[in-house]
Amino acid sequence: MARAPLTIPPEVRSRLKRLSLVPRRMAGTRGFGMHASRSKGAGLEFAQYRAYEPGDEPRRIDWKLFSRSDKFFVREAEEESPLAVWILIDASGSMAQADRARPDWSRLDAAKLLALCIADVALMQGDRFGWMVLHENGLRLAEPHRGRGQFERLQLELARLEGTGTFPAAATLAPLWERVGARDLVIFLSDCFDESGIALIERLAKAGREVLAIQLLTVEERDFPFEGGFRFREQESGAELVSDGAALRETFLARFAAAGKALDERLDAAGIRHAAVVLDEPVDRPLHVLFGRGTVPT
Amino acid sequence: MTPLLLAPLGLAALAALIVPLLIHLHRRTEEVPVDFAALRWLDILTRPRSRIRFEEWLLLALRLLLVALLGLLLARPALPGLDGDAPRVLVAPGIDPAAATAAAGPEADLRWIAPGFPALEAATPPARVTVSSLIRQFDAELPAGAPLTILVPPVLEGVDAEPLHLTRTVTWRIVGRGTPGPGPAPFAAPTLAVRHAPGGEAPLRYLRAAAAAWSGSSHITAGAGRDLPPRDQVLVWLVPGPVPAAVTDWVSEGGTALLGEAAEVAMPAATAALWRDARGDTLVEGAPLGAGQVMRFTRPLRPAAMPELLAPDFAATLRDLVTPPAPPPARVAAAAFAPVAGADPYPLPPRDLAPWLTLLIALTFLAERWLATRQHRFAA
Repeated sequence: MARAPLTIPPEVRSRLKRLSLVPRRMAGTRGFGMHASRSKGAGLEFAQYRAYEPGDEPRRIDWKLFSRSDKFFVREAEEESPLAVWILIDASGSMAQADRARPDWSRLDAAKLLALCIADVALMQGDRFGWMVLHENGLRLAEPHRGRGQFERLQLELARLEGTGTFPAAATLAPLWERVGARDLVIFLSDCFDESGIALIERLAKAGREVLAIQLLTVEERDFPFEGGFRFREQESGAELVSDGAALRETFLARFAAAGKALDERLDAAGIRHAAVVLDEPVDRPLHVLFGRGTVPT
Repeated sequence: MTPLLLAPLGLAALAALIVPLLIHLHRRTEEVPVDFAALRWLDILTRPRSRIRFEEWLLLALRLLLVALLGLLLARPALPGLDGDAPRVLVAPGIDPAAATAAAGPEADLRWIAPGFPALEAATPPARVTVSSLIRQFDAELPAGAPLTILVPPVLEGVDAEPLHLTRTVTWRIVGRGTPGPGPAPFAAPTLAVRHAPGGEAPLRYLRAAAAAWSGSSHITAGAGRDLPPRDQVLVWLVPGPVPAAVTDWVSEGGTALLGEAAEVAMPAATAALWRDARGDTLVEGAPLGAGQVMRFTRPLRPAAMPELLAPDFAATLRDLVTPPAPPPARVAAAAFAPVAGADPYPLPPRDLAPWLTLLIALTFLAERWLATRQHRFAA
């Protein structure tokens, strides 16, 4: 299916400049300096030449350049960023849900745009980023890399992503444990309705990964604007409930709020930073909540 | 003036009112399918609220009205006979309209005694009518209590033998001096056209004597030919043997024929005795044939076989046989014909409202169709 690659709307993109992906626990063991700075030093990728200073290792002097210019220059390479950002996208059937008022803006669409925003921020910071699409049929993942190419691959990947099926079983998720590094930043984009999804990020957090959860909610789940007879159908189990919308509202809103509170407490207990976004809010709102410096778009 | 129902059982059709209600209720129970991932927080025990809700109130009201009107139509609503108690004046034919207006006053409701009771100024004075029958009809159709005045000339024509016996006391006024209309036409003696076989002239003398007795002039022609007379004459067919088809055709087209005893003819099935002798034996039988009349002597026209030929009343009896009956007397002195009150009043026929109701139903139906087929109803 040939679709135009997903792009970030300009007003969202302009707000992304205020963001920085900062892990709560700064990793000081790899390399030196702040991960976010373009620290230069030993590495594979060439960054620049600089004049020799006393104390530099003699083996880092570029002797060929010395033979041409009769001056000592030291080759500096870009320091590998210690931070890898993993974007976990839930692509189960419930993510395909959209509001009746805006049927072309599903939870998954919002998740895709959020993933692009995260990738864009990581790209601007020079951090490596990779992704995993959690789908019933299996895991589609991309190892963390830096650069525009990775971003474009993410765009292509997201363009053909559709939300179907149930949340993947634990066996399907096995490759995830091999790939996610010990101190990587994991951002989980989901509706957080699946128990197995919550269990997964809890285990990740316990295993020392820094996990952030962004819950995507539809307007109908927040407001329950149903009047009259409806046949409610859950996408993943196929369960159905026929009832009157107005009669359901009060209990649903109370129960849903209680469930949200329970989820909050559970994630807090696991040390998972989390934010929620409803589909009629700016899609980058949770990023500003989690990574922003003050102002949160409304 | 309370409307009444001629067939109240027709109101049972109002049970059909449930149909539009069901139509408009049906849509309500449709369930809109909606994907909802947070299903597990919905309360399963909540029953769909059985609130009765109708859609498109205006259309529903129109449809209910339509069904109700149809049910009402089946129940045949009617209004009891009306026409107020205003005084009415009937004018008998033969009265000068100006004299009638002068007698009754300028604003009186004057009507001719004629079929349909036309207004005095709207119609010409009617010709011969059955006055007493029309007066009885007008009286019967008038609400009880409405005063009635009848203006008659001194000599009233067109009455029947029964005195007027009406439901109300009628003001019976004799207007003008009366100009009696032309009397009935003087009696015209029939003309006999006798056809006989050659040598069969013997009965002719009796017929001639009878014709001569009717009037002085000769009202009989005789011949041995087979030619047929004009249809206003009476054919006396004395030729023995089968009657030619020309004769029966002539009778069927309006002629009157008197056949001899020897004529062989198939008489119509309705043949009955028209003249019996003193012992009760049939002398002449006859029946209508087509537009005419066919009669037959049952005995030879000889005094030995039929002594009545010599009787003094033969001429009169023969004349009564071959001429249509004279009209009954229909002229009376108006003063002696004043109606008598006291007949039982007739129940007035109720006025059926079906035409108006049908019109209303048609209008309602059009409105319903217009409302039900509007464009934006389907656009939603």
